[in-house]
Amino acid sequence: MRRPASSILKTAGLFSLPLGWTLLLLIVPYLMMIAVSFWTRQFPLFVPDFQFGNYVQLFSDPQYTTVILRTLKIAAMVTAAALVLGYPLAYFLVFTLRSERLRNLVYMAVIVPLWVSYLLRAYTWKIILGTDGALNSALMSLGVIDAPLDLFLYNQAAMVITLTYIFVPFMVMPIYAVLENIPKGLIEASEDLGIGPLGTFRHVIAPLSLGGVVAGAMMTFCLSFGDFVAPVLVGGPDGIMVANLLQTQFGAALNWPLGSALATLVLIMVLVILGLTGWAERASARNLR
Amino acid sequence: MTGRRTAQALTALALATLPFAAAAGELNILTWEGYADPAFITPFEEASGCTVSATYVGSNDDFAAKLAAGGGVYDVITPSLDTVGMMRLAGFVDPIDTAAVSGISGIYPEFSEHPEIVVDGETWAVPLIWGSVSVIYRPDKISGTPDSIGVLFDPAYKGKISMWDDKSAIYWTARYLGYPNVFDLSDAELEAVKAKLIEQKPLIRKYWSSAGELTDLMANNEVWVSNAWTGLTSKDVNALEKGFSVVEFSPKEKAEGWMDSMMLVRGTPNQECAAKFMSYMQSAQGQCGIAASTGYFPVNPGAVADCMDAAMKEERKVDNIDFVKSLVMWQQPVRLDKYLEVWNAVKAAP
Repeated sequence: MRRPASSILKTAGLFSLPLGWTLLLLIVPYLMMIAVSFWTRQFPLFVPDFQFGNYVQLFSDPQYTTVILRTLKIAAMVTAAALVLGYPLAYFLVFTLRSERLRNLVYMAVIVPLWVSYLLRAYTWKIILGTDGALNSALMSLGVIDAPLDLFLYNQAAMVITLTYIFVPFMVMPIYAVLENIPKGLIEASEDLGIGPLGTFRHVIAPLSLGGVVAGAMMTFCLSFGDFVAPVLVGGPDGIMVANLLQTQFGAALNWPLGSALATLVLIMVLVILGLTGWAERASARNLR
Repeated sequence: MTGRRTAQALTALALATLPFAAAAGELNILTWEGYADPAFITPFEEASGCTVSATYVGSNDDFAAKLAAGGGVYDVITPSLDTVGMMRLAGFVDPIDTAAVSGISGIYPEFSEHPEIVVDGETWAVPLIWGSVSVIYRPDKISGTPDSIGVLFDPAYKGKISMWDDKSAIYWTARYLGYPNVFDLSDAELEAVKAKLIEQKPLIRKYWSSAGELTDLMANNEVWVSNAWTGLTSKDVNALEKGFSVVEFSPKEKAEGWMDSMMLVRGTPNQECAAKFMSYMQSAQGQCGIAASTGYFPVNPGAVADCMDAAMKEERKVDNIDFVKSLVMWQQPVRLDKYLEVWNAVKAAP
């Protein structure tokens, strides 16, 4: 069926802004990044080229694999911690709090920190976890320890704590949304059939909320995977993550080609993760049917 | 890359059509902490009509990175002598019209006529201030009187040591290991340095990347010993009166020396303000002002003749350019990329 030219023009006109935006600010920069990843570093800057040396370096020099694996580990730990904290919270909000006003209030309390500058929130953890910080002072005044402990700040645990705190709302929000949309009738039916609360959770609530869990986990994982502030503020000498490597290559090392190759690799990894979660989500949806 | 060129052309076109409002009396400097202190910048702004805004770097490698990411933002930069040549070779700077800057003749000729500063008869930089990098420590926590870089590698202070997040960590370790030419290490020597730095990592609490960060680390009891820009951190930590003080020493393996110069960013529209600023920084107000706010040494002994007392002149090595000889003056490493790679590998290591 042929559409009249005017309709095509109208459609093009309607979508030209978002399409132009996507093309100019997303697609073109990605293509440029991929192009630069084949260039060559040559003192003092770099020259256009087409060679695979940057990618070879990424895989042959152990420093890059070390950092990528570390970043995956930190991001996975943050995701797990956020899920452990976020799911019960969302569950509590939807199923336990009967008063709608109270529920909205608590939900807002979870979301409100997102309005505060990320840097400020990360900085706060420095004040809490430091040698002279709030946590050490509290433990000392309680008599638990005699001298301040060093082990709270400037290590990977501090990074996981900080990132979990910062990204937990991204886990709570989608889980809250799916739990709220579960028809109450299904839960009542399960209970009427004599299934206990645990069984109802296992067979009804958990499978139906899986989509929210996957969405929340994906967001938390990707956000922490790309973080570069926590390693700088609360991380120690072993806390460098992929985004810090990128910063170094585009900054001090002035090796944009290598940085672009690394960024391309990160992009591919994120796409793979997105693909896997999409697949997992579809698979679980099939099981439900 | 035609696309890139097209994009550049489009950007240029867009900029050209904008009303040129920002030109009059502005000066953007990319510099180090303490180099744009209101104590001497405000009088300059009042006298010259130029509004100064400063952005700070954490290491010499930041200059090229910031300028490569897009010029037009900064007018004057103040890299150290080891980075001056690279700025020129990368095309980031224009030569200085020495007739427009007053006071150059008063600068130690060792600096103003240095082969990195004057190339083929053209002057590329105006010396600003110089100093050293030494070891800072807490006498109440470190036993005895340390005299060696070894204190930065002492397991007794595990978790209480810091180091500057900079390629110079390689120079420090190389001197500690007894290698004479720290700016031209062989592959084997670099491997040994890298191994030593990785061995040191469990002792490190945090690598510092700005003077402010080191001040925080020392003041908040996080670290007891580090290498530091002599003068600045000790002044700032002691001023906080936290109930302890910090002192500095030049290790027996030598401290490092540096000299920062002002350079003119290529094509800056604020040439006039830049020249006024460079002249001002050679005056008594400029030289004594920056020396006071940083704790570093003036490059223009004549300028500080009347604004420093004898004790201060002694401390700040006025007319004592020979002090340079006791330091390892920074040079650009022969294989800069290799050095940066080694330092990045150390930081990435588990």
